[in-house]
Amino acid sequence: MRKPSTTPHFSRRRLLGTTAAGVAATSLAACATSGSDEDIEDVSVGDDAENPFGVDGSLPLDVVIFDGGFGDEYAVQHQEMYQSAFPDAKVEHLATQAIAETQQPRFAQGEPCDVLDNSGAQQIPMDALVTDGELAELTPLLDAPSYDDPNVTVRETLRDGVLEAGTFNGKVYALNYVFSAWTIWYDAALFADKGWTPPTTWDEMLALCPDIQAEGIAPWTYAGQHPVYLYDMFLMLAGRHGGVDVLKAIDHLEADAWRHDSVVAAAEAMYGLWEAGYILEGTPGIDHIQSQTAFNNHEAAFIPVGSWLPNEQKGIAPEGFEYAPMGVPYLEGSVQPGLISAGGEEPFVVPQKAANKPGAYEYLRIMLSKQGSQIFGDTVQAATIVKGVELENLAAQLTDELVSNPEDLFQPRFRFWYTKMDEEVRPALGGLMAGEIDPDQFIERMQTVADETAADDGVEKFTHGA
Amino acid sequence: MRHGKYPFILSFLALPVGLYAWLVIVPFAQAFQISLTDWSGSSNQFDYIGLDNYVNLFKDDRLVLPALRNTGIILVVLPVVTIGLSLFFAFMLNIGGRSRQGRIEGVRGSRFHKVVFFFPQVLSLAIIGILWKQVYAPENFGGLITGGLEALGLPSPVNGFLADKRLVLVSVIGVLVWSAVGLYLVFFSSAMAAIPRELYEAGIVDGAGRFQTFFKITLPLLWESVQTAWIYLSIIALDVFVLVYMMTPGQGGPDGASEVVGGVIWKYAFKHGEQAFASALGVVLFFAALTLAVVSLRAGRRERIEY
Repeated sequence: MRKPSTTPHFSRRRLLGTTAAGVAATSLAACATSGSDEDIEDVSVGDDAENPFGVDGSLPLDVVIFDGGFGDEYAVQHQEMYQSAFPDAKVEHLATQAIAETQQPRFAQGEPCDVLDNSGAQQIPMDALVTDGELAELTPLLDAPSYDDPNVTVRETLRDGVLEAGTFNGKVYALNYVFSAWTIWYDAALFADKGWTPPTTWDEMLALCPDIQAEGIAPWTYAGQHPVYLYDMFLMLAGRHGGVDVLKAIDHLEADAWRHDSVVAAAEAMYGLWEAGYILEGTPGIDHIQSQTAFNNHEAAFIPVGSWLPNEQKGIAPEGFEYAPMGVPYLEGSVQPGLISAGGEEPFVVPQKAANKPGAYEYLRIMLSKQGSQIFGDTVQAATIVKGVELENLAAQLTDELVSNPEDLFQPRFRFWYTKMDEEVRPALGGLMAGEIDPDQFIERMQTVADETAADDGVEKFTHGA
Repeated sequence: MRHGKYPFILSFLALPVGLYAWLVIVPFAQAFQISLTDWSGSSNQFDYIGLDNYVNLFKDDRLVLPALRNTGIILVVLPVVTIGLSLFFAFMLNIGGRSRQGRIEGVRGSRFHKVVFFFPQVLSLAIIGILWKQVYAPENFGGLITGGLEALGLPSPVNGFLADKRLVLVSVIGVLVWSAVGLYLVFFSSAMAAIPRELYEAGIVDGAGRFQTFFKITLPLLWESVQTAWIYLSIIALDVFVLVYMMTPGQGGPDGASEVVGGVIWKYAFKHGEQAFASALGVVLFFAALTLAVVSLRAGRRERIEY
């Protein structure tokens, strides 16, 4: 309940003055909810392809980077690129895990940074930022000429479908810089050794499970304490069966969306894994590190994780382990068996009240240049949303094959749009896979919270674009 | 009174009082103000919406109501168990030993025991959380308790203690007690040391056993210490958040089974972007703590025994 004091730089005189003000307590000025509204200027795209946003090179640029799995080395190099373009600009760089703790007060005061990598466990809720009008739309950036070729816009250099994740009601507010997909992982070396074929259908997978168990390996594990790792697996299973519209209906909070046959079939299939005893014992009680370690140790054959898995395991992966991704095995009668949850992650945003908005757009344009993107690929071995950057690892190449059809890319969004739905789907999925609730209870529970969210006028509603 | 005394005193008071007002009272007052708005926490715009937040608090059966229930349970169980255990241990370590040659002392090795009991107090809560998370883990992931139960052939939760809705809250309370007992043991020990030995000697001469000595002599003379401990522990119980955050799945799970008020405030403020709602809950917690302190001080008032 206590807020961090927002009074900077104590000098003795100021302290005494402040104290006097505090004693008087006549106003609540300089506290958390105050701050002035400055005039907000929109950035437009000019004719100069070198400097399309008209950056004033003398202004400082304030960049905040989430110092998580990707570190901040790539950002330092991006800033060097910015610095060499604008030698007079002073670039402020802050790398932190405490995004909300350090940045939320700045939003509240109306003095946010210029570029924010709003990521990690301490992410400031995107729905709240968008609803409050605190974020700048990124259309000028996307329409600007790209860094490398003035005849191609920035938008045209990006992979298909990657802006979806940052789009709220048709407007792009966040640039999700890292390209990733949610897939099922297996050890290709183990499978080759045992002569197992990676299953493409659910029935093939079920048929393979007894063979896996015969080797003393549990077929499945997952991060039981963070059931969100099951979110994309479950929804893709449903979406593959009934087509992407089934998932769109869920995102749009349509009546009975959860009671759709495909969604029920997916819930029953997931529950079936528990019923058949195909899940590593103890899984509901372990976290992502424990589940991935169990996977590395060949205690389990399949695990649902995002594309960052090989990079995350770099250094601790057992000798000869080959991380290979596949789409979730689809149910019989699936109408869109190639559907996959893939797109951008790691949202970079520009606050609406940023002091140096043109500089912020320019910084993002630099990030999206060929060189900028290659820097990211070289430092962290992960793909960005920019087309045509080659990575030299098996997992990245296999992922590229899975996401080759733009029609099949879809990120289910309700968890990001509606925090309340997010808080409900996690325990519900966890309960379903641990056998605590059956598929009917699961479906009714999710339908209930979806109906409540739909009926709540206080919640801003979002939709997928046409 | 001599001329100029008040300005002199006031000049000394201004700074501490001012700082206190600025850093404690103003933020408190502001929490009240914020709780009447719809402020999200990441904007400088908000509207006043009256008492809506307070009304909605008691309709929230997903987070707030379970949290109030769980915090209530902790509020009752934690002080009772902790005080009970630490009084028992303190008695045994100071007075409960066999009397040798008419001297009253604790059980054998009492100094060593005191150090051991105090140990958890030296560890930070974060370390305790990580430690116990592993202790409570599923059996095939190296859980100490589950492994021990299994070895004895007793039933144990297959997914570990923290993933079980029925056991998670008890498990958290267990850790709280474990980490608090040592401090109150030392606290009660020093209070017991102040009780004159003659009282015990007289009691023993009259044929009182350990049981009677404890309830007829020790406890009445320690009443004020117990009361103080009660208030401290109650405040810890209302505040409990770190362990829930560190240990439980979903920071209050599974499925809300270990939500506490502090955790729900944090969730609403920083995960849901509803600072105003969180502030309203904070205000409720503030009054709960205040009421608790006043009631326990009043209700526990007894005549002071001089010795």
